[in-house]
Amino acid sequence: MNRLPRILSLGLLLSSAGLYGCAAHQNSGQALQQAGTDFQKVREDTDVLRSAPRDVIRAGELLGRAERLSSYVGSGDDVAHYAYLSSRYSEIARENSNLLLNQERLAKMEMDRQRLQLALRESKLASAQQQGKWLEDQIVSLATTQTERGLVMTLGDVLFDTGHAELKNSANRTVLKVVQFLLLNPQRVVRIEGYADNTGDEQTNLQLSKDRAQSVADVLTDLGIDDKRIEVQGYGAQYPVEVNASERGRAQNRRVEIVFSDATGRLGAAR
Amino acid sequence: MSIRPLLAALAIATLVGCASDPAPIEQLKLTEKAIEQAKAVGATDEQPELHTAEEKLAGVRADMASKSYKQARMQAEQAELDARLAEARVLTGKSQEQITQLNTRLNRLRKQLGVTQ
Repeated sequence: MNRLPRILSLGLLLSSAGLYGCAAHQNSGQALQQAGTDFQKVREDTDVLRSAPRDVIRAGELLGRAERLSSYVGSGDDVAHYAYLSSRYSEIARENSNLLLNQERLAKMEMDRQRLQLALRESKLASAQQQGKWLEDQIVSLATTQTERGLVMTLGDVLFDTGHAELKNSANRTVLKVVQFLLLNPQRVVRIEGYADNTGDEQTNLQLSKDRAQSVADVLTDLGIDDKRIEVQGYGAQYPVEVNASERGRAQNRRVEIVFSDATGRLGAAR
Repeated sequence: MSIRPLLAALAIATLVGCASDPAPIEQLKLTEKAIEQAKAVGATDEQPELHTAEEKLAGVRADMASKSYKQARMQAEQAELDARLAEARVLTGKSQEQITQLNTRLNRLRKQLGVTQ
Protein backbone atom coordinates (compact mmCIF):
# COMPACT_ATOMS: atom_id res chain seq x y z
CA MET A 1 0.00 0.00 0.00
CA ASN A 2 2.62 2.50 0.89
CA ARG A 3 4.97 0.94 -1.56
CA LEU A 4 3.85 2.98 -4.55
CA PRO A 5 4.74 6.44 -3.16
CA ARG A 6 8.14 5.14 -2.13
CA ILE A 7 8.90 3.88 -5.60
CA LEU A 8 7.60 7.10 -7.07
CA SER A 9 9.79 9.23 -4.86
CA LEU A 10 12.81 7.08 -5.61
CA GLY A 11 12.07 7.46 -9.32
CA LEU A 12 11.81 11.21 -8.94
CA LEU A 13 15.08 11.34 -7.05
CA LEU A 14 16.88 9.28 -9.69
CA SER A 15 15.54 11.29 -12.61
CA SER A 16 16.42 14.60 -11.02
CA ALA A 17 19.90 13.30 -10.32
CA GLY A 18 20.06 12.24 -13.94
CA LEU A 19 19.02 15.67 -15.13
CA TYR A 20 21.54 17.38 -12.91
CA GLY A 21 24.18 14.98 -14.12
CA CYS A 22 23.32 15.87 -17.67
CA ALA A 23 23.78 19.61 -17.24
CA ALA A 24 27.06 19.18 -15.41
CA HIS A 25 28.12 16.66 -17.99
CA GLN A 26 27.72 19.13 -20.82
CA ASN A 27 29.95 21.74 -19.15
CA SER A 28 32.55 19.22 -18.14
CA GLY A 29 32.41 17.69 -21.62
CA GLN A 30 33.35 21.04 -23.11
CA ALA A 31 36.15 21.58 -20.59
CA LEU A 32 37.44 18.09 -21.28
CA GLN A 33 37.45 18.65 -25.00
CA GLN A 34 39.26 21.97 -24.56
CA ALA A 35 41.86 20.37 -22.30
CA GLY A 36 42.37 17.63 -24.88
CA THR A 37 42.95 20.19 -27.64
CA ASP A 38 45.32 22.25 -25.49
CA PHE A 39 47.33 19.18 -24.56
CA GLN A 40 47.49 17.96 -28.13
CA LYS A 41 48.97 21.28 -29.23
CA VAL A 42 51.75 21.41 -26.65
CA ARG A 43 52.54 17.73 -27.08
CA GLU A 44 53.14 18.19 -30.79
CA ASP A 45 55.34 21.25 -30.26
CA THR A 46 58.94 20.10 -30.00
CA ASP A 47 60.04 23.42 -28.52
CA VAL A 48 57.56 23.10 -25.67
CA LEU A 49 58.46 19.45 -25.11
CA ARG A 50 62.12 20.31 -24.94
CA SER A 51 61.84 23.32 -22.66
CA ALA A 52 58.98 22.44 -20.31
CA PRO A 53 58.66 18.64 -20.28
CA ARG A 54 57.43 18.46 -16.69
CA ASP A 55 54.51 20.81 -17.28
CA VAL A 56 53.51 18.84 -20.36
CA ILE A 57 53.60 15.60 -18.38
CA ARG A 58 51.44 17.12 -15.64
CA ALA A 59 48.95 18.35 -18.24
CA GLY A 60 48.76 14.81 -19.64
CA GLU A 61 48.30 13.18 -16.23
CA LEU A 62 45.51 15.54 -15.26
CA LEU A 63 43.81 15.09 -18.62
CA GLY A 64 43.92 11.32 -18.15
CA ARG A 65 42.39 11.71 -14.71
CA ALA A 66 39.59 13.89 -16.06
CA GLU A 67 38.91 11.36 -18.84
CA ARG A 68 38.75 8.45 -16.40
CA LEU A 69 36.41 10.35 -14.09
CA SER A 70 34.13 11.29 -16.97
CA SER A 71 32.91 7.67 -17.21
CA TYR A 72 31.38 7.91 -13.72
CA VAL A 73 27.91 9.34 -13.09
CA GLY A 74 27.79 12.57 -11.09
CA SER A 75 31.49 13.36 -11.48
CA GLY A 76 30.90 16.43 -13.67
CA ASP A 77 32.48 18.91 -11.26
CA ASP A 78 35.59 16.79 -10.81
CA VAL A 79 35.97 16.29 -14.55
CA ALA A 80 35.67 20.02 -15.17
CA HIS A 81 38.15 20.69 -12.38
CA TYR A 82 40.86 18.34 -13.64
CA ALA A 83 40.27 19.44 -17.21
CA TYR A 84 40.82 23.04 -16.07
CA LEU A 85 44.04 22.13 -14.28
CA SER A 86 45.24 20.23 -17.34
CA SER A 87 44.53 23.21 -19.62
CA ARG A 88 46.39 25.49 -17.26
CA TYR A 89 49.44 23.23 -17.27
CA SER A 90 49.40 23.18 -21.07
CA GLU A 91 49.35 26.98 -21.11
CA ILE A 92 52.08 27.23 -18.47
CA ALA A 93 54.19 24.85 -20.54
CA ARG A 94 53.75 26.99 -23.64
CA GLU A 95 54.52 30.19 -21.76
CA ASN A 96 57.64 28.71 -20.15
CA SER A 97 58.77 27.52 -23.54
CA ASN A 98 58.26 31.01 -25.01
CA LEU A 99 60.32 32.41 -22.16
CA LEU A 100 63.16 29.99 -22.77
CA LEU A 101 63.16 30.66 -26.50
CA ASN A 102 63.28 34.40 -25.79
CA GLN A 103 66.18 33.92 -23.41
CA GLU A 104 68.12 31.91 -25.95
CA ARG A 105 67.46 34.59 -28.52
CA LEU A 106 68.57 37.31 -26.12
CA ALA A 107 71.83 35.49 -25.42
CA LYS A 108 72.52 35.27 -29.14
CA MET A 109 71.66 38.93 -29.66
CA GLU A 110 73.90 39.94 -26.78
CA MET A 111 76.82 38.19 -28.47
CA ASP A 112 76.00 39.95 -31.72
CA ARG A 113 75.94 43.21 -29.87
CA GLN A 114 79.36 42.71 -28.35
CA ARG A 115 80.78 41.73 -31.71
CA LEU A 116 79.29 44.83 -33.36
CA GLN A 117 80.46 47.10 -30.54
CA LEU A 118 83.97 45.84 -31.01
CA ALA A 119 83.78 46.31 -34.76
CA LEU A 120 82.43 49.82 -34.33
CA ARG A 121 85.15 50.75 -31.87
CA GLU A 122 87.78 49.48 -34.30
CA SER A 123 86.29 51.30 -37.25
CA LYS A 124 86.05 54.55 -35.34
CA LEU A 125 89.64 54.11 -34.21
CA ALA A 126 90.71 53.47 -37.78
CA SER A 127 88.90 56.51 -39.12
CA ALA A 128 90.36 58.71 -36.39
CA GLN A 129 93.84 57.40 -37.19
CA GLN A 130 93.27 57.96 -40.88
CA GLN A 131 92.64 61.57 -40.12
CA GLY A 132 96.16 61.48 -38.70
CA LYS A 133 95.02 63.22 -35.62
CA TRP A 134 94.94 60.41 -33.14
CA LEU A 135 97.90 61.81 -31.26
CA GLU A 136 96.20 65.11 -30.93
CA ASP A 137 93.82 63.29 -28.72
CA GLN A 138 95.63 64.50 -25.70
CA ILE A 139 94.35 67.92 -26.62
CA VAL A 140 90.88 66.68 -25.93
CA SER A 141 91.72 66.49 -22.27
CA LEU A 142 92.12 70.28 -22.46
CA ALA A 143 88.48 70.49 -23.37
CA THR A 144 87.61 69.18 -19.94
CA THR A 145 87.35 71.70 -17.19
CA GLN A 146 86.99 71.23 -13.49
CA THR A 147 83.81 73.00 -12.34
CA GLU A 148 81.76 72.96 -9.18
CA ARG A 149 79.61 70.35 -10.97
CA GLY A 150 82.64 68.07 -11.36
CA LEU A 151 84.79 67.33 -14.39
CA VAL A 152 82.99 68.66 -17.50
CA MET A 153 83.77 67.97 -21.14
CA THR A 154 82.11 70.15 -23.77
CA LEU A 155 81.13 68.88 -27.21
CA GLY A 156 80.73 71.94 -29.36
CA ASP A 157 78.10 72.81 -31.93
CA VAL A 158 80.45 71.95 -34.82
CA LEU A 159 80.04 68.28 -33.95
CA PHE A 160 76.37 68.43 -34.93
CA ASP A 161 74.63 69.46 -38.14
CA THR A 162 72.43 72.52 -37.73
CA GLY A 163 69.07 71.54 -36.32
CA HIS A 164 70.02 67.87 -36.21
CA ALA A 165 70.67 65.64 -33.23
CA GLU A 166 73.11 63.13 -34.78
CA LEU A 167 76.78 63.39 -33.93
CA LYS A 168 79.06 63.89 -36.93
CA ASN A 169 81.96 61.58 -37.67
CA SER A 170 84.35 64.32 -36.66
CA ALA A 171 83.26 63.67 -33.08
CA ASN A 172 84.73 60.14 -33.21
CA ARG A 173 88.00 60.95 -31.49
CA THR A 174 86.35 62.77 -28.64
CA VAL A 175 83.76 60.08 -28.17
CA LEU A 176 86.37 57.31 -28.24
CA LYS A 177 88.34 59.17 -25.63
CA VAL A 178 85.30 59.30 -23.38
CA VAL A 179 84.60 55.61 -23.94
CA GLN A 180 88.20 54.71 -23.23
CA PHE A 181 88.11 56.79 -20.07
CA LEU A 182 84.89 55.14 -18.89
CA LEU A 183 86.18 51.66 -19.67
CA LEU A 184 89.30 52.35 -17.62
CA ASN A 185 87.23 53.84 -14.80
CA PRO A 186 84.33 51.43 -14.39
CA GLN A 187 83.15 53.13 -11.21
CA ARG A 188 82.54 56.47 -12.85
CA VAL A 189 79.18 57.48 -14.30
CA VAL A 190 78.27 60.45 -16.50
CA ARG A 191 75.44 62.89 -16.99
CA ILE A 192 75.07 64.14 -20.52
CA GLU A 193 73.51 67.58 -20.67
CA GLY A 194 72.20 69.22 -23.83
CA TYR A 195 71.96 73.00 -24.28
CA ALA A 196 70.58 75.26 -27.02
CA ASP A 197 70.74 78.96 -27.86
CA ASN A 198 67.72 81.23 -27.46
CA THR A 199 66.66 81.44 -31.12
CA GLY A 200 63.46 79.63 -32.01
CA ASP A 201 60.77 78.57 -29.62
CA GLU A 202 61.41 77.17 -26.20
CA GLN A 203 59.83 73.77 -26.81
CA THR A 204 61.87 73.07 -29.94
CA ASN A 205 65.07 74.15 -28.21
CA LEU A 206 64.34 71.93 -25.24
CA GLN A 207 63.62 68.96 -27.52
CA LEU A 208 66.74 69.50 -29.65
CA SER A 209 68.95 69.84 -26.58
CA LYS A 210 67.49 66.61 -25.20
CA ASP A 211 67.85 64.78 -28.52
CA ARG A 212 71.48 65.82 -28.91
CA ALA A 213 72.32 64.68 -25.39
CA GLN A 214 70.52 61.42 -26.07
CA SER A 215 72.38 60.83 -29.32
CA VAL A 216 75.70 61.25 -27.50
CA ALA A 217 74.44 58.77 -24.89
CA ASP A 218 73.41 56.35 -27.66
CA VAL A 219 76.87 56.45 -29.20
CA LEU A 220 78.47 55.71 -25.83
CA THR A 221 76.06 52.79 -25.35
CA ASP A 222 76.81 51.54 -28.84
CA LEU A 223 80.49 51.53 -28.01
CA GLY A 224 79.95 49.33 -24.97
CA ILE A 225 79.19 51.62 -22.06
CA ASP A 226 76.36 50.27 -19.89
CA ASP A 227 73.41 52.65 -20.19
CA LYS A 228 72.92 52.42 -16.42
CA ARG A 229 76.02 54.59 -16.13
CA ILE A 230 74.58 57.34 -18.31
CA GLU A 231 72.06 60.01 -17.33
CA VAL A 232 70.59 62.29 -19.96
CA GLN A 233 69.24 65.79 -19.45
CA GLY A 234 68.10 68.57 -21.77
CA TYR A 235 68.14 72.19 -20.62
CA GLY A 236 67.04 74.10 -23.72
CA ALA A 237 68.35 77.67 -23.71
CA GLN A 238 68.98 77.74 -19.97
CA TYR A 239 72.48 78.25 -18.52
CA PRO A 240 74.15 79.97 -21.49
CA VAL A 241 77.96 80.18 -21.34
CA GLU A 242 78.00 83.30 -23.55
CA VAL A 243 75.53 86.07 -24.35
CA ASN A 244 73.25 85.10 -27.20
CA ALA A 245 73.75 88.46 -28.91
CA SER A 246 76.33 87.32 -31.49
CA GLU A 247 76.44 84.33 -33.79
CA ARG A 248 79.65 83.26 -32.09
CA GLY A 249 78.04 83.43 -28.66
CA ARG A 250 75.01 81.46 -29.82
CA ALA A 251 77.25 78.78 -31.33
CA GLN A 252 79.02 78.42 -28.00
CA ASN A 253 75.74 78.06 -26.19
CA ARG A 254 74.66 75.25 -28.52
CA ARG A 255 76.59 72.44 -26.90
CA VAL A 256 76.50 69.11 -25.15
CA GLU A 257 78.33 68.79 -21.85
CA ILE A 258 79.47 65.52 -20.36
CA VAL A 259 79.67 65.74 -16.58
CA PHE A 260 81.81 63.03 -15.01
CA SER A 261 81.22 61.64 -11.54
CA ASP A 262 84.03 61.33 -9.03
CA ALA A 263 86.01 58.09 -8.83
CA THR A 264 83.40 56.47 -6.56
CA GLY A 265 80.55 57.06 -8.99
CA ARG A 266 79.06 60.03 -7.13
CA LEU A 267 77.59 62.55 -9.54
CA GLY A 268 76.79 66.13 -8.57
CA ALA A 269 73.09 67.00 -8.44
CA ALA A 270 71.44 68.00 -11.73
CA ARG A 271 71.02 71.73 -12.28
CA MET B 1 12.70 -4.32 2.35
CA SER B 2 15.55 -4.76 -0.02
CA ILE B 3 15.91 -1.04 -0.70
CA ARG B 4 16.32 0.12 2.88
CA PRO B 5 19.84 -1.27 3.54
CA LEU B 6 20.97 0.15 0.22
CA LEU B 7 19.72 3.61 1.14
CA ALA B 8 21.41 3.36 4.51
CA ALA B 9 24.67 2.39 2.85
CA LEU B 10 24.34 5.29 0.44
CA ALA B 11 23.70 7.74 3.25
CA ILE B 12 26.73 6.50 5.15
CA ALA B 13 28.89 6.66 2.03
CA THR B 14 27.79 10.25 1.46
CA LEU B 15 28.59 11.15 5.06
CA VAL B 16 31.97 9.47 4.88
CA GLY B 17 32.61 11.23 1.60
CA CYS B 18 32.05 14.58 3.23
CA ALA B 19 34.04 13.81 6.32
CA SER B 20 37.03 12.43 4.42
CA ASP B 21 37.81 15.79 2.76
CA PRO B 22 40.35 17.33 5.12
CA ALA B 23 40.99 21.06 5.31
CA PRO B 24 43.40 21.82 2.42
CA ILE B 25 45.88 23.75 4.56
CA GLU B 26 49.00 22.78 2.60
CA GLN B 27 47.33 23.57 -0.72
CA LEU B 28 46.27 26.95 0.61
CA LYS B 29 49.89 27.72 1.51
CA LEU B 30 51.03 26.66 -1.97
CA THR B 31 48.42 28.91 -3.55
CA GLU B 32 49.35 31.90 -1.42
CA LYS B 33 53.00 31.35 -2.26
CA ALA B 34 52.29 31.16 -5.99
CA ILE B 35 50.33 34.42 -5.86
CA GLU B 36 53.08 36.09 -3.87
CA GLN B 37 55.67 34.93 -6.38
CA ALA B 38 53.65 36.23 -9.33
CA LYS B 39 53.45 39.62 -7.63
CA ALA B 40 57.16 39.51 -6.84
CA VAL B 41 58.03 39.35 -10.55
CA GLY B 42 55.70 42.27 -11.22
CA ALA B 43 52.26 40.82 -11.96
CA THR B 44 49.47 43.24 -11.07
CA ASP B 45 45.76 42.92 -10.62
CA GLU B 46 45.40 43.95 -14.27
CA GLN B 47 46.85 40.59 -15.26
CA PRO B 48 43.64 38.58 -15.87
CA GLU B 49 45.13 35.32 -14.54
CA LEU B 50 46.32 36.93 -11.32
CA HIS B 51 42.97 38.64 -10.89
CA THR B 52 41.22 35.27 -11.22
CA ALA B 53 43.65 33.68 -8.78
CA GLU B 54 42.97 36.32 -6.16
CA GLU B 55 39.22 36.06 -6.58
CA LYS B 56 39.45 32.32 -6.15
CA LEU B 57 41.66 32.72 -3.08
CA ALA B 58 38.99 34.91 -1.49
CA GLY B 59 36.50 32.15 -2.29
CA VAL B 60 38.81 29.55 -0.73
CA ARG B 61 38.96 31.51 2.51
CA ALA B 62 35.16 31.72 2.63
CA ASP B 63 34.88 27.98 1.90
CA MET B 64 37.39 27.19 4.65
CA ALA B 65 35.34 29.22 7.11
CA SER B 66 32.17 27.32 6.18
CA LYS B 67 34.10 24.01 6.17
CA SER B 68 33.34 23.30 2.48
CA TYR B 69 36.76 21.71 2.21
CA LYS B 70 36.35 19.97 -1.12
CA GLN B 71 35.26 23.18 -2.82
CA ALA B 72 38.10 25.01 -1.06
CA ARG B 73 40.70 22.52 -2.28
CA MET B 74 39.54 22.67 -5.89
CA GLN B 75 39.47 26.46 -5.93
CA ALA B 76 42.88 26.63 -4.30
CA GLU B 77 44.39 24.19 -6.82
CA GLN B 78 43.01 26.22 -9.70
CA ALA B 79 44.17 29.51 -8.18
CA GLU B 80 47.70 28.14 -7.77
CA LEU B 81 47.95 27.37 -11.47
CA ASP B 82 46.29 30.67 -12.40
CA ALA B 83 48.99 32.47 -10.42
CA ARG B 84 51.79 30.39 -11.93
CA LEU B 85 50.50 31.16 -15.41
CA ALA B 86 50.33 34.87 -14.51
CA GLU B 87 53.96 34.72 -13.37
CA ALA B 88 55.09 32.97 -16.54
CA ARG B 89 53.25 35.50 -18.72
CA VAL B 90 54.88 38.45 -16.94
CA LEU B 91 58.35 36.93 -17.36
CA THR B 92 57.77 36.22 -21.04
CA GLY B 93 56.46 39.74 -21.55
CA LYS B 94 59.57 41.18 -19.94
CA SER B 95 61.90 39.10 -22.08
CA GLN B 96 59.94 40.24 -25.13
CA GLU B 97 60.53 43.87 -24.15
CA GLN B 98 64.24 43.15 -23.73
CA ILE B 99 64.34 41.67 -27.22
CA THR B 100 62.70 44.75 -28.68
CA GLN B 101 65.13 47.03 -26.87
CA LEU B 102 68.18 45.02 -27.87
CA ASN B 103 66.93 44.89 -31.44
CA THR B 104 66.81 48.70 -31.58
CA ARG B 105 70.39 48.84 -30.38
CA LEU B 106 71.57 46.21 -32.82
CA ASN B 107 69.93 48.06 -35.69
CA ARG B 108 71.57 51.28 -34.59
CA LEU B 109 74.95 49.55 -34.45
CA ARG B 110 74.51 47.95 -37.88
CA LYS B 111 73.45 51.28 -39.35
CA GLN B 112 76.54 52.98 -37.96
CA LEU B 113 78.83 50.26 -39.20
CA GLY B 114 77.23 50.59 -42.61
CA VAL B 115 77.91 54.32 -42.56
CA THR B 116 81.50 54.23 -41.36
CA GLN B 117 82.63 51.30 -43.51
